[in-house]
Amino acid sequence: MLGDLQKQIPNSVECELKMMHSKSALTRFANSHIHQNVDEESADVFLTIHKDGKTISRSKNITGIKSSKEFVKEALDSLDESPKDTTWAGLTSKSESYEGFQELHEANPEERANLVRDFVKEGEDMNAAGYCSTYLNNFFIWNTNGLNSSDTSSSAFIDGIFRTDTSAGSSHRGAVNINNLDASQTGKEAAKLAVDSQNPIDIDPGKYEVILGHEAVSTILVFLSVYGLNAKSKIDGMSPILLNENQFDEKINLIDTPEDSESIGFKIDASGAKKYNLEIIKNGVPSTYFHTRRTSKELNMENTHHEFFGVDDYFGGIGTNLNLDKGNVSHSDMISSVKKGIYINEFWYCRVLDPITQVVTGLNRNGSFLIENGKITKPIGRLRFTQSFIKSLSPGNVISVGDKSRYADSEFGEGMLKVPKLHLKEFNFTGGVSG
Amino acid sequence: MFDLLNIAIDSAISSGAKYSDARILVSKSRNIAAKNGEVENFNESEKIGLGIRALVGSSWGFYSTYDLSRESLISSGKKAFEIAKASAVVSGKETPFADVPVVQDEYTTPHEENPFKVSSTEQIDLLVNSTEQMKKLGTSRSSGRLDFWDTEKWFCSSQGHEIFQNIIESGGGISSLSVGDGETQIRSYPQSFGEYRTGGWEVIKSFEFGKHTQRLAEESQRLLVAPQCPEGVMDLILEGSQLALQIHESVGHAIELDRILGWEAAYAGTSHLELDKLNKHRYGSELMNIVADATLPGALATFKYDDEGTPAQRVEIVKEGIWTGVLSGRDSAAIAGVKPGGMVRADGFSRLPMVRMTNVGLLPGESSLEEIIESTDNGIYMETNRSWSIDDLRLNFQFGCEAGWVVKNGKIIDMVKNPTYTGITPEFWGNMDMLANENEWVFWGTPNCGKGQPSQIGHTGHPASPARFKNTRIGVRG
Repeated sequence: MLGDLQKQIPNSVECELKMMHSKSALTRFANSHIHQNVDEESADVFLTIHKDGKTISRSKNITGIKSSKEFVKEALDSLDESPKDTTWAGLTSKSESYEGFQELHEANPEERANLVRDFVKEGEDMNAAGYCSTYLNNFFIWNTNGLNSSDTSSSAFIDGIFRTDTSAGSSHRGAVNINNLDASQTGKEAAKLAVDSQNPIDIDPGKYEVILGHEAVSTILVFLSVYGLNAKSKIDGMSPILLNENQFDEKINLIDTPEDSESIGFKIDASGAKKYNLEIIKNGVPSTYFHTRRTSKELNMENTHHEFFGVDDYFGGIGTNLNLDKGNVSHSDMISSVKKGIYINEFWYCRVLDPITQVVTGLNRNGSFLIENGKITKPIGRLRFTQSFIKSLSPGNVISVGDKSRYADSEFGEGMLKVPKLHLKEFNFTGGVSG
Repeated sequence: MFDLLNIAIDSAISSGAKYSDARILVSKSRNIAAKNGEVENFNESEKIGLGIRALVGSSWGFYSTYDLSRESLISSGKKAFEIAKASAVVSGKETPFADVPVVQDEYTTPHEENPFKVSSTEQIDLLVNSTEQMKKLGTSRSSGRLDFWDTEKWFCSSQGHEIFQNIIESGGGISSLSVGDGETQIRSYPQSFGEYRTGGWEVIKSFEFGKHTQRLAEESQRLLVAPQCPEGVMDLILEGSQLALQIHESVGHAIELDRILGWEAAYAGTSHLELDKLNKHRYGSELMNIVADATLPGALATFKYDDEGTPAQRVEIVKEGIWTGVLSGRDSAAIAGVKPGGMVRADGFSRLPMVRMTNVGLLPGESSLEEIIESTDNGIYMETNRSWSIDDLRLNFQFGCEAGWVVKNGKIIDMVKNPTYTGITPEFWGNMDMLANENEWVFWGTPNCGKGQPSQIGHTGHPASPARFKNTRIGVRG
């Protein structure tokens, strides 16, 4: 179809044509059995035409395109009505072309169901809920500069909780291929957290030393990524990130790793340009924002190729292969070094109160414990935090970085962040069970 | 279209499904965003496709595709069955399914001007002019957006439903953001993220953006130099759109039957409500009367049938403070032993229908906002949501608003910035002691309710008028 559409594009315009073909499936379980099992195939076409300073964007799925000629004509006819596009940054050059398409086959529902069974088995006395999902995406892009890029991305996830009458515990795994998911290990971790969290006590809110599990760390970083490192936030005056300053603790090293073989996601961005491994924060010093063509032009900075497929390009750049460097401290050593503190497995429902200070409020769930004199002593109940995520990683506040890293779920989704645990000196809890 | 749907459904049933239904959707959207007097985004999209579900034992199987050829439809029905059947590896009790009247019907959202037939230039100009005015008045970043959806939906079931609906939704808003020394302040109209309703271009015209640009620009700048919201326990007065979100988070989600039954436990969470407390549990004060009404003309979650073919209806949720009802679908209602509420909808053809809020609103009281303020000795009046967070039982919440005003001895005396409040659901609603009347009752709409896996975005409505809550913890900061 892209070939047919290309033939309809007049020479007098700049044009970009994209097609995303996806097969995605998700097997969902609750009350320890599979209750929803979904499978989807989609094929969407995105057309952008620019001429005389004006831009028009149209998208349809392929069933919506009755004829290639009509689809292009509709867009061209609307171009005159379009407003001036003052931030147009041109098309990706032909030299950026990348051929990454692969013929891969999607996983089947039996494979997902088997992983769910393996997870549920690890806590048969408890109530299990969660999902196993698989994705296969093919992306094709052509433009009038002569760029022809393609790529294929596959991913799979298992995520779940176990619940008792008084507690819950969760765990998560992500990988490029479903065969690389260890559902039993994931289930074991979740089950242990649920068992250990039973009959929690309430503690007073206040400032505590904390050890954050993979999911909690992932949520802090995804907020910094989407609201801070996104160059669009900088343009809008809302980014807290200060380039080339010692803004974070020197133990914080954040790298974007699209070129790694185990990285989930495309190796090209939505403009069709090849992505490269890139240092984002080195020894606590941020070195770049995530750029798109438009933001790099507006800020006169180098394009980092973080245009994100699936959101309008005015949203800005998002890092999707982020890897927080692991350290050398084991989980048990982290715990034994705490005189009085809290272990938090996962944050929940986090929202920004002020973008520039990145003060965020949210709660803990699925496994939280009081640590006293180097030992986990009691499970604890719900706490509300109100804390600047920037300050949480500021110089001197990161005591240690865990020695194991994995893909973690986050407030904005899975597959974007591979992180270790973190031990932080202070975290501000502003409310308990009573509000 | 009905013939196409029945091909897929017949295929699912002949494969062995106990029940099957399917939808074909033609979904059009137009999205316009402007910033500082210039268009930032203008996009139109159209998607056509089929979603079919099949019930086998304890699980739903669902398959969706863009391919509407006969071969694909037959294959889709089979796949829905096979996907459901694969769930037998980890099966539970057979899922019951409540009966509803089998109907053949059609419905179109009442509207005056189809927004897709209005010139995009006129729509763009409205945003460009509004944001330009605010920029000229000194705001750091003025922005605005308009969104329109035109959804044609054909629904059939293996029981004989044949329903066509054309749902038209329109909405948008404008905002002024001012950046100060290490802080940002924002004012939005009609509410944060815009106001959305069923209806056409007339919805947008009724907002009269031009009458509000000066106030937004001035207030966002004034907030930069305003004092911080005081901390303490005092009276809280909420403006209608903030109260609408309060209803959404602390009532709407808590009464979803799929959450109560544990179906959403791993992601969205469960609920503090337990079915054995229905008709007994005190949710709030006697002023609290909540209904879920999908029949309100013009509200965002208004339709004639849900995505299971159940008629739209008005269901009492809280009566004089006592919890009396839930949001349900045909399966969840059958399990809980209640009447199906017609509250199951999907985000497009490619998503499995699930329990969704309709127009879950707080019925108006007898006061006015003016009277509420006049009778308050010590409190804060808060307007327009800025942040929201609530736990997975829907109990412990914290909200931030764009602007606050100190109320002393019956008068507004000072504007304050960064107002927040926190509370526990039943205590908070139990402290509601004044509620504005129907003259200030607005059908607020929320177009961005996330739920489900794969993620779905729902459009929900929350009629509300301003109200007062005694003894609320205010001014929490990090």
